[in-house]
Amino acid sequence: MSTVDSERTGLRGRAGEVYGWIDERAGTTELLHKGLYEAVPRKGGWAYTLGSATLVLILLQLFTGIFLLLEYVPSFQQAWISLDFLQHSDRFGAAVRGMHLWGAYTLILIIGLHMMRTFLSASYKRPRELNWVSGALLFFLVLGLAVTGAMLPMDNAGYWTLVVVTNIPHYIPFIGTGIRTLWRGGDFVGPIALTRTFAIHIWVLPFLMFALIGGHLALLRRHGEFGAWVNYSTSSDDPEREITGRIRAAEPPYPTKRIERRYAAPRETVNFFPFQLGKDVMVSIVLVAVIFVMAFLFGAPLDERADPSTLTYTPTPEWFYLPLDQLLVFIPTTWLIGFGIFVLMGAAATLFTILPFIDRSTHRRPLERPEVLLPGLFFAAMIVMLAVLGITRLYNL
Amino acid sequence: MALPTLTRRQWLGITAAGSGLITVMLTLPALGFVLSPLFQRQRRETYRVGPVDDIPTATPTALTVGVSSGEAYDTTRVDRTVYVVRRQDGSILALANTCTHMQCNVHWSTELNQFLCPCHGGLYDLEGRNVGGPPPSPLPQWVHELREEDGQTVLYIENRYDESI
Amino acid sequence: MIRALADLHLVPVPGDLVTNGLAVAVVALLHVQVAAYLQGAAALSTISQGIALMRPDPRHERFAHGLVTSMAYVFGFGAALAIFWVIWILTVLWGHAWVDLSIVTFWPLVFEAGAFLSEIVLLYAIYAGWDRLSAYPRARFGMLVLLTVAMWLQMDFIDVVASYMLTPNHGDTNQLAQVLNPTSLPLQLHRTVGNIAWAGAAIAFYAGFSYLRATRRQRRRREPELAGARSVGAMAATEFAGTPPSDAAARRGYLDWVGQWGVLWAVMMSLFQIWIGYSYAKEIQLHTYSAWFRMMRGILSNVFLAQIFLLGLIFVLGSLYFWQRMRASGVSRLWVQRLCFVGLVLATLLAVQPAWFAVDEADVIAAHLDRPWWDGGLLNPIGDFIPWKVFALIALMVLGLTSATSYVRAYSEGRVRIGETTRRLQVVLLALGMTVSVMMMVMGVIRENGRQPYLIHGELTIQHQQVVTGPGP
Repeated sequence: MSTVDSERTGLRGRAGEVYGWIDERAGTTELLHKGLYEAVPRKGGWAYTLGSATLVLILLQLFTGIFLLLEYVPSFQQAWISLDFLQHSDRFGAAVRGMHLWGAYTLILIIGLHMMRTFLSASYKRPRELNWVSGALLFFLVLGLAVTGAMLPMDNAGYWTLVVVTNIPHYIPFIGTGIRTLWRGGDFVGPIALTRTFAIHIWVLPFLMFALIGGHLALLRRHGEFGAWVNYSTSSDDPEREITGRIRAAEPPYPTKRIERRYAAPRETVNFFPFQLGKDVMVSIVLVAVIFVMAFLFGAPLDERADPSTLTYTPTPEWFYLPLDQLLVFIPTTWLIGFGIFVLMGAAATLFTILPFIDRSTHRRPLERPEVLLPGLFFAAMIVMLAVLGITRLYNL
Repeated sequence: MALPTLTRRQWLGITAAGSGLITVMLTLPALGFVLSPLFQRQRRETYRVGPVDDIPTATPTALTVGVSSGEAYDTTRVDRTVYVVRRQDGSILALANTCTHMQCNVHWSTELNQFLCPCHGGLYDLEGRNVGGPPPSPLPQWVHELREEDGQTVLYIENRYDESI
Repeated sequence: MIRALADLHLVPVPGDLVTNGLAVAVVALLHVQVAAYLQGAAALSTISQGIALMRPDPRHERFAHGLVTSMAYVFGFGAALAIFWVIWILTVLWGHAWVDLSIVTFWPLVFEAGAFLSEIVLLYAIYAGWDRLSAYPRARFGMLVLLTVAMWLQMDFIDVVASYMLTPNHGDTNQLAQVLNPTSLPLQLHRTVGNIAWAGAAIAFYAGFSYLRATRRQRRRREPELAGARSVGAMAATEFAGTPPSDAAARRGYLDWVGQWGVLWAVMMSLFQIWIGYSYAKEIQLHTYSAWFRMMRGILSNVFLAQIFLLGLIFVLGSLYFWQRMRASGVSRLWVQRLCFVGLVLATLLAVQPAWFAVDEADVIAAHLDRPWWDGGLLNPIGDFIPWKVFALIALMVLGLTSATSYVRAYSEGRVRIGETTRRLQVVLLALGMTVSVMMMVMGVIRENGRQPYLIHGELTIQHQQVVTGPGP
């Protein structure tokens, strides 16, 4: 028996026997085989590494987050003191906190690129609509984690973020003030506000997030990576026949079901292992290295201890919230603020989430679907410009 | 003894009722617990801010006082700012430095001669009226009273604003 | 040398405050139109050349070439004008300001001049070598990118100077503080998108104008043909047109395509202005309150309303064009476009409501008429910025974007067929070009007057300019 296993695994002697024992009971080899030998479109492999990089960065956040929990105290009085101790008296404490922060920054950047890639290549179209929807929800969860995480240190930056963000719900008509009270535990931002935010950051959002990640990955494996239009071009005089041949010779998970024949199977594929996995690992290593270096060079800032009476501190949002912050400058009066935040932003978020159900044409090339590209680029440009305007506003205060 | 026979409909009915009961037992206390801050009353306390006889007119003066949020178990006092404005007729405003837009920390800008909220550029005049930028309403005042003590007028505030913002 | 300088005395410059101001304004407005077109056209030609690289579309290649040619023609005049402006108008009439400004913002001006020189080299190299580079479209694209960057840098550095005049941060001469002064980045964004919008509108104007001319000739020529005789006159007309009828149809198709391409850029880029302009005004409010007050509540408030009217007009005209252009191609179910058009008209009307029926808010208060007009006062509560105009601005943005998107959707589905346009639609193109041109001039007037009486806000007044340092008597 052990000889059979050593043929399959290459392990010999004692190690082979132990592995064989486990494999017989847990089916490890079959699982690895399923996980590693899958067809992936040949062209554009570097672009597909963004998804796996996102996963790696989320796991990095989980990992560094657990270590921060070993010291951080979620108390209004002691949160800042515990972090101040962690920063200055613990060896590598500042570095671990720096990795958590720079990991978050990198994660948001990479998730944004991942979304851009999916948007431009129209990978979200039938039958992969739910991949997009789950991805969009994951993006919102990451933003939620980022903002709740920024509140926890109870320095000036965290305290004022907590004040501003918990105040936003009160612009919802009728129930808004109640929501604010529930989050804060009263009218003022006090001890309850911090504990609740902590619970949301540590349990509620990650719990939802890992459930969604599971779904996102399962859907990816079910339909296979779409890639981009470059993987589906035909070169012969008889494209129909070429496509039929491709579908017939397709390796799992292709041909994708319920999709136009033309896009059912890529022209050329490679095995996930080692070709795509190699690229994935390389990109992830580079990103983690960047985070590592940034954490040691710059670390994570810890402001002065929260001072609710301050007259000099200028609350500034994290860079990825600058565009939204700049939008807040524009909308005055109670009902217009509510309208702007909840109706306009809500509509934008909804449109973004249900994009696959709006853009239902069969076109995949960007220039053939300008009706999606035009508003998409408009809003992308808007976000960038609002960030620039936000920077200029805050720099000169 | 024969086992009691159930139709599929009966079986489903019993199961649904059982799960419903479990759901109620699990959610009601949890929901009530989460919603409890809505029904809790904050402890109202009064603090002595200080004498206000020497406060000049035409410009606000920032005073600091330790205030407890009065929520749940919280009894610690945290410093808060009271902007005291003396009007021409001698009456006193005790403005909170809390912007009515996003509750950021407002300060008096001598350059603009207005209260400025650095978050989103909200502007208020000397009386706390919102005159520019996004704030939807005037600056709130602390609930306050003036007491005569040893020939001095002393400002006392309570740990709440005179209007909900 | 120092002794010689000490001998100099202040003497009055020729002309008075009004005529000198007028001379400065006229040259400045002309300069802005030319410079803004050049910058926008450089960006658009780069984009078209880039598209031509991605897909074999001769129209984009031809369009990029046309733009480069137009830039080469305009650039000579523009450069001469700019040199005239600096050497004669600024140095003689506003010598004080110019010298002070040159000292304070020395480095931005040096970089600006450097960018100007590299533009000359690049533009004429591209212009002269266009055909020779036809085998190397990537090289052409690369040079156009460099040209656009040079143009953008030039604008960038002159914007540092211009924004410094408005919000000098109490005369902080630190280089970083100058480059990042409160209105510097807003002005740069404002002009970056504004210049492209202007280039788009100018191109649309050109396309409309040429289309009208081409079809007028054709109409004239058709008459003798209908008579059934090839008269000498008809032959002369064909000769004059220079192109056989099929080529004329191709040219009309090209002009139609250029027109809608220009309108798309003009509308899409102007959409950004709504909140870039808002941020810009907000910075002015926070850092140069008196200028903001003149613009929004003082004597310029109604001029500013005219500006908002012109902005709304861009979207109204753009939406009218998209709607009618789709109709001319026989597209059915145009309710989206109709709705956008009506909505844009209403939003524009709401946005241009005056808040007081007088020149100045202070006048209204002084006359004790600060009551709503239905109570016999002069105030118009519907004209309040908050919340009515904010709402109108949101509506302008959403509807403008919807209208443009609806059009490109029809275009991408092949429902808008190029060449199927009407002469009447070209008038919309002409109006759009005029609107943007006038708008830039009104903006210039607001800009320069808002800062009054200062040239560099809080530092240097315009009255100082009426004297120069000259040799003593």
